[in-house]
Amino acid sequence: MNPFDLKSALLARHAQHVVLIHFPIALFLAGVAFDFAARWKRDATLAAVAYYNMTFAAVMSLPVVATGLMAWRWQLEGQKLKGTLLQHLVLGVTASVLIWLVWSIHFYARRQGRTPSNYRLPLEAVAAAVVALTAHLGGFLSGVNAPV
Amino acid sequence: MKRSICRLGIAALAIMLVMVAGRAKSSGLIAADEKPVEIKIDNFVFSPNTVTIPAGSTVHWTNHDDIPHNVVSDDKSFKSKVMDTDESFSYTFAKPGTYNYFCSIHPKMTGKIVVQ
Repeated sequence: MNPFDLKSALLARHAQHVVLIHFPIALFLAGVAFDFAARWKRDATLAAVAYYNMTFAAVMSLPVVATGLMAWRWQLEGQKLKGTLLQHLVLGVTASVLIWLVWSIHFYARRQGRTPSNYRLPLEAVAAAVVALTAHLGGFLSGVNAPV
Repeated sequence: MKRSICRLGIAALAIMLVMVAGRAKSSGLIAADEKPVEIKIDNFVFSPNTVTIPAGSTVHWTNHDDIPHNVVSDDKSFKSKVMDTDESFSYTFAKPGTYNYFCSIHPKMTGKIVVQ
């Protein structure tokens, strides 16, 4: 197999969901970490870094949800939604909504030229926990968390 | 004359008894052969991992995991649908050979069927 074969790279026969999912997870968790650091240090640069991380996390969550649904329909052949699969789907959609909610709090605060309210911090912590739990269950579905 | 007819009758009866007994025995063997070989899918492992069977035997996979799995042969000679928890798939191996297979959702899961 040629690792530089463009056709193989673009038309990979595995689900793209497991590849793309790393982006919103990493960007959002980094964004939350930077926002907590910005609040602690009262640093506008760190706050800007947090905002842009969260912006790209929110954008990346859209193809992730889409490819997740495609993986369910095609790779898992529309398997009945129950157990781990159902939990992963519900938590995944919840995580995506929470990421957009956190981003919108930052977006409107920046547009009005003020610091976002402090209530965002517990919301960000909850969103980060939901993201981590969704990823944990996804690891089981994809086999990454399978015993060696 | 009567004695020879009687002997002939006894001989025919004996032959019939032997044939019936033989048939019963052979049908018992077929039934034993027809019992499918069971492979469990549990904890992301096909167990037993390697199975040796005579040609014409049926292999029966059952998914005991909470995670969906399937069974796909390397040479694409058989492919199951995605199996939910406690769902099964059977395949009869008519030709001798070595059949390597895997779960296409979790390609690290592999197994082998040796058909003699």
